[in-house]
Amino acid sequence: MKGIKKILSLAVAISVFAVSIAGCGSSQPSSTGNTSSTGADTSAGGSSSKPYIAVISKGFQHQFWQTVKKGAEDAAAKYNVDMTFDGPPSESDINVQVDMINSAIAKKPAALALAVLDTSSVTQQLNDCKSKNIPIIGFDSGIPDAPEGTLFATASTNNENAGALAAVSMFEDPTFQEALKAASTDKPVTIGVQSQDATSASIIGRTNGFINEMVKKCETLFAGQVAVTGHEKFKKAASSGKAAVNIFVTIPPSSNATDSQNASQSLLNTKGLIAAYASNEASVNGILAATTDGKDLDRANGKYKNITVVGFDAGKAQKAAVKNGWFLGSVTQDPYSIGYLAVELAAKAIKGEAVEDVDTGCKFYTAKNMEQSDIAMLLYD
Amino acid sequence: MFKRNNKLSISGGSAGFQKILALSTLFILYIFFSIFGNNFFSVATLVNILDSSYYIGFLALGMTFVIITGGINLASGTIMMCSALLGGVAYNIWHWPIGMSLALIFFVSTFFGLMNGIMIAKLKLPPFIATLGTMSITMGLGAIISKVMTMRYPTVTDPDGWFKFLFYKTSGGFPVGAVWLALFLIIAYIILNKTIIGRYTFAIGSNEEAARLSGVKVDRWKMVVYTLDGFFGGLAAIMYAAAYTSIIPSTGNGIELYAISGVVIGGTSMSGGIGTVSGTLIGVFIMSVLKQGLMAMNLQGQWQTFFTGFVVIGAVLLDIYRNKKANQVKKD
Repeated sequence: MKGIKKILSLAVAISVFAVSIAGCGSSQPSSTGNTSSTGADTSAGGSSSKPYIAVISKGFQHQFWQTVKKGAEDAAAKYNVDMTFDGPPSESDINVQVDMINSAIAKKPAALALAVLDTSSVTQQLNDCKSKNIPIIGFDSGIPDAPEGTLFATASTNNENAGALAAVSMFEDPTFQEALKAASTDKPVTIGVQSQDATSASIIGRTNGFINEMVKKCETLFAGQVAVTGHEKFKKAASSGKAAVNIFVTIPPSSNATDSQNASQSLLNTKGLIAAYASNEASVNGILAATTDGKDLDRANGKYKNITVVGFDAGKAQKAAVKNGWFLGSVTQDPYSIGYLAVELAAKAIKGEAVEDVDTGCKFYTAKNMEQSDIAMLLYD
Repeated sequence: MFKRNNKLSISGGSAGFQKILALSTLFILYIFFSIFGNNFFSVATLVNILDSSYYIGFLALGMTFVIITGGINLASGTIMMCSALLGGVAYNIWHWPIGMSLALIFFVSTFFGLMNGIMIAKLKLPPFIATLGTMSITMGLGAIISKVMTMRYPTVTDPDGWFKFLFYKTSGGFPVGAVWLALFLIIAYIILNKTIIGRYTFAIGSNEEAARLSGVKVDRWKMVVYTLDGFFGGLAAIMYAAAYTSIIPSTGNGIELYAISGVVIGGTSMSGGIGTVSGTLIGVFIMSVLKQGLMAMNLQGQWQTFFTGFVVIGAVLLDIYRNKKANQVKKD
């Protein structure tokens, strides 16, 4: 008899548990803000007549995505659509993102906006959307090599240009020039590049954009004596056989903070290092962690005072490092526009309007110009 | 021997009770989400629930054997990823045919299963420590051999994509993975309940010393169990590759926790000697329904993790309560 009582109490517990989920479900949009305010009624069963756009990003962990989300929410409000914004907990969670996309498709959206972690893992889903006539819009790194006819348009930063901008800005710095000109084949200098991975097209683009531009610039001073070493994907020997300038690419084994920090630490201790470039917020955070939040890069008395550092993206710690002059500067994308334009493109595609790719732009910010209003609005915390 | 069999029948009944409880939880959750979720009650969602449970399902089937012996395998997820990565290296870099690459996956995962078995049975390392070591080794090895590059399996449009149609989903969208899972559920059931492997698995888990004294070669059968677990890891790896295509180095840790959760929710006792494979799959489906259901309510993945925790704690509490009850019966 006692056993039956226990079963009953357990059954009650389960129902309480179930009801509590229901509570979370309905209160959730306002409490944690994962869903835009305009999307509140989709959770109650999709009785709304507004078109529904599912936006799935590559993550949530960086402030960058929060700004993208804000842009997406504003566009959803303007175009009067329901919108949900989801993303996997980290950029290694390909399986989680695939499940999210499957789940979004099951909700029968009018359009999907995606920043995929890996195109080949979602080929089937993309083709599925095509056959169901669901328009797909890419944003941020978008959907590289999407199967033909699946992708309508992409709202993204041109990453090659952004990487090149970092290289040009670094090259024009007088301190960097001085250190570079002291190089010879007997005493080569190293320019370090830290990249989060060799998988994501956006990061490969920024890394390649930087390397290609830097090689071009350095070749004007040291013809045939510029080599790219480090990661296999980017390797290139100096054409004369001997290098005076060595561009060294390091990629940590995972995107987690400790691995980034360790990679940065060993990069900073590389012999002959005169400069470093980090191609996204995670890599920048690695460098910041390895330099006491950037303090060790202080030009007057820092431990690494002779190293010129250029970053990418914004974020509180990076902005402080730029503001204090510890970083020469950083390239910023425009996350707000990325989110806004993605939803705008999706809304237009639903109406059947023709859409095409848009460049959401980038800027180089330094201690001098970061207060200017046109730059400041791009620098999210 | 007689006493052990006697205990077996008690444990079978008791696990059966928790299995029924798990099954009703599964139905309640499904009905709940069908009412409150956005488009949850649909074939598409049902297929999604199946799709996202294959790899955890296979890992959990293997894990059931290990946990019934009173052991644990913390390397389960990383062995899966490591063998999938190595298969990917074979396919992409060494240009092996896809069939051979898939065979390599089995070889690698079974090898690491055997390695766990040797460390635990012969070298007498505690399973927790031995498999913790294997976790690190497999995670590192995968990253070393793949040179930290993501390995991609052929997509459906590729001529080699046939393996996806065979293991995951047919071109018509039929979830053929579910058939494989059902097939191996039956195989696992037969091994656990109708063969000597299964009988000794329970015997070791109930009372290792008693089993040894009764003449059971405990070391050998433990090795068999861990090797079998490794083999199931290979199945999981193929399913993972078929479902998600891209394998990222240095991932996979954390997945073992879902496999362990599935086993525990399904009524297998963490102290060993009690458990069923069908309960395990129910446990896995509960997690899958939770995941898909919460997503249908626009709650993100972290909510699934959060609620899975409650289900696991509930299941373990039930296990403890049941053990206490069983002891009371004995004293009487």
